[in-house]
Amino acid sequence: MGFFLEVLIGGLLTGVLYSLVALGFVLIFKASGVFNFAQGAMVLMAGLALVQLIQPTYIGLWHFVGIGALVAAVAGLLVLRVLRGGTFAVVKGDWRVHLPMLVAVGAGLVGGLLALAGGAKGWPLWLAIPAAIAVMVAVAWVVERWVLRPLVNQEGIILFMATLGITFFIDGFSQTIFGSNVYPLNVGLSKDPVFLLESVFDGGILVNQLDISGAIIAGVLVAGLAVFFQKTRIGRALRAVADDHAAAQSVGIPLNWIWFIVWSVAGIVALVAAIVWGSKLGIQFSLTFLALKALPVLILGGFTSVPGAIVGGLLIGAGEKLAEVYFPALTKYVLGTAMPGGIEYWFAYVLALVFLLFRPQGLFGERIIERV
Amino acid sequence: MTLRVRSFPEVLLSVENISLAFGGVKALTDISFDIRKGEIRAIIGPNGAGKSSMLNCINGFYHPQQGSITYKGVRRSQMKPHEAAEQGIARTFQNIALFKGMSTLDNIMTGRNLRMKTGLLWQALHLGPARREEIEHRREVERIIDFLDIQHIRKTPVGRLPYGLQKRVELGRALAAGPELLLLDEPMAGMNIEEKQDMCRFVLDVNDEFGTTICLIEHDMGVVMDISDRVVVLDYGKKIGDGVPDEIKKNEAVISAYLGVSH
Repeated sequence: MGFFLEVLIGGLLTGVLYSLVALGFVLIFKASGVFNFAQGAMVLMAGLALVQLIQPTYIGLWHFVGIGALVAAVAGLLVLRVLRGGTFAVVKGDWRVHLPMLVAVGAGLVGGLLALAGGAKGWPLWLAIPAAIAVMVAVAWVVERWVLRPLVNQEGIILFMATLGITFFIDGFSQTIFGSNVYPLNVGLSKDPVFLLESVFDGGILVNQLDISGAIIAGVLVAGLAVFFQKTRIGRALRAVADDHAAAQSVGIPLNWIWFIVWSVAGIVALVAAIVWGSKLGIQFSLTFLALKALPVLILGGFTSVPGAIVGGLLIGAGEKLAEVYFPALTKYVLGTAMPGGIEYWFAYVLALVFLLFRPQGLFGERIIERV
Repeated sequence: MTLRVRSFPEVLLSVENISLAFGGVKALTDISFDIRKGEIRAIIGPNGAGKSSMLNCINGFYHPQQGSITYKGVRRSQMKPHEAAEQGIARTFQNIALFKGMSTLDNIMTGRNLRMKTGLLWQALHLGPARREEIEHRREVERIIDFLDIQHIRKTPVGRLPYGLQKRVELGRALAAGPELLLLDEPMAGMNIEEKQDMCRFVLDVNDEFGTTICLIEHDMGVVMDISDRVVVLDYGKKIGDGVPDEIKKNEAVISAYLGVSH
């Protein structure tokens, strides 16, 4: 019993980490109807940015990036104004349109100054995390401005192909500027295993502390996001945009602004995933492939449901660990020959396949009924 | 016979020499007309005449290559749809554009999105001013639901509703914004006689009770001649008639556009 619980809890905690990646997908899918293949690449980019800020290996590059961002932002603002008729006046009710630009200028300014001040020592964590968030917000702005806006009102599949492009771009770009080694990430989360319930079970239940802190972080994040989407005006606006672009615009929802918000939030979720996974595995290229593990999680939970992403992650995490441990014994008992190991590598995908056959909308997804 | 002879001195919106082309296709050519405050203005014309394109220009979905639109005294050549909404222009669509996954209530609530002002933090906590605001807007939305007589489908996801009711919900969402100018793109298309009568009543009531200016596109000539104060007629992207229903009925160009002429 103690062993079973140990496997179950270990699996559930891994599942929470899967949920964390799946969540990024759900956010963007809910708000724009786009399956964002680039979420895995965004995790990698967030992780690399954070590691480089904490333990810089190319500080000269950071100087360059910081000053460059500052100059580019100011120049961009000027050019934009000149092109629009040379006026800096902001029309009433229009200021939000300029906000991404102002954020970019602000980020460039702050980043540039800090990069110069930070020197070769690296930044403290409390500074590095906001800076990494700023990097992800900048990515969101670039994606909205240069990828999504030109593709407004296009088919979902075209937007999906665009996110494939973004994936390759982010992969290459982030490794070019941040380097492609495996970097250890230490943000102070303890990795030591602990034994729980020693008085109940012989030897207790072995649990990794890192998994527990990861689960707590994920829980807080999910609670925050759930409230944000269900209870706020912006949450309703996001759901509206996902449903119908034209109708959303006609009730006064600015599409570009909403997309910018969503991609920023997805970037922040990617950063959190990068912190937790990076503490566990180190920041490395293979984080990109987390995207693949999130896919079965989404199919189980439903692409449009935040709770679905959580439950799907837990089911898959626990399911694959239990299957790995107990399937060989089970098949030996039933069929006479033990199934070979490595079950946890394919279990999630087979489970997803079963769901696609019998419940394609997932456990919590909205069932779309189309009239013809 | 026009039952409603009313006069409207104040111009709310005027369209001046609008031309719109998609590549080589000229959707609108040099169109000018005005919409006066408080009236019901109809845009009619055969299929492909450019009626919906005209609404899309007013509402900011399309940006005409030439001409300008003056709304509430402010002249502009381009406007984004969300800016149009902020300035009090609401609309419905020819092919219903509702948020199909959401309930009737939520759909109509999105119409009030612009009027909600409390900060994100309060909203996230869902208390204090945000809660009061939500309740206040909810009251307004319930009033609209009563007005349109759709209490029974309040919680139903709109994707499941029949066509006529969906049209009504869409009207509700547009009304929720408390618009000054309401654009209706074929509000009675595909409806049976009873549903059409209901819809006519709603349109007239909105105009009477809230004083909302209405610009509508409609194919049912009986309806158009009955409820509208003035009519503008488009054909192949050009304006061929403009005036009160009685004038339009006698207009030769309009008659030939609809019935065809023998050459």
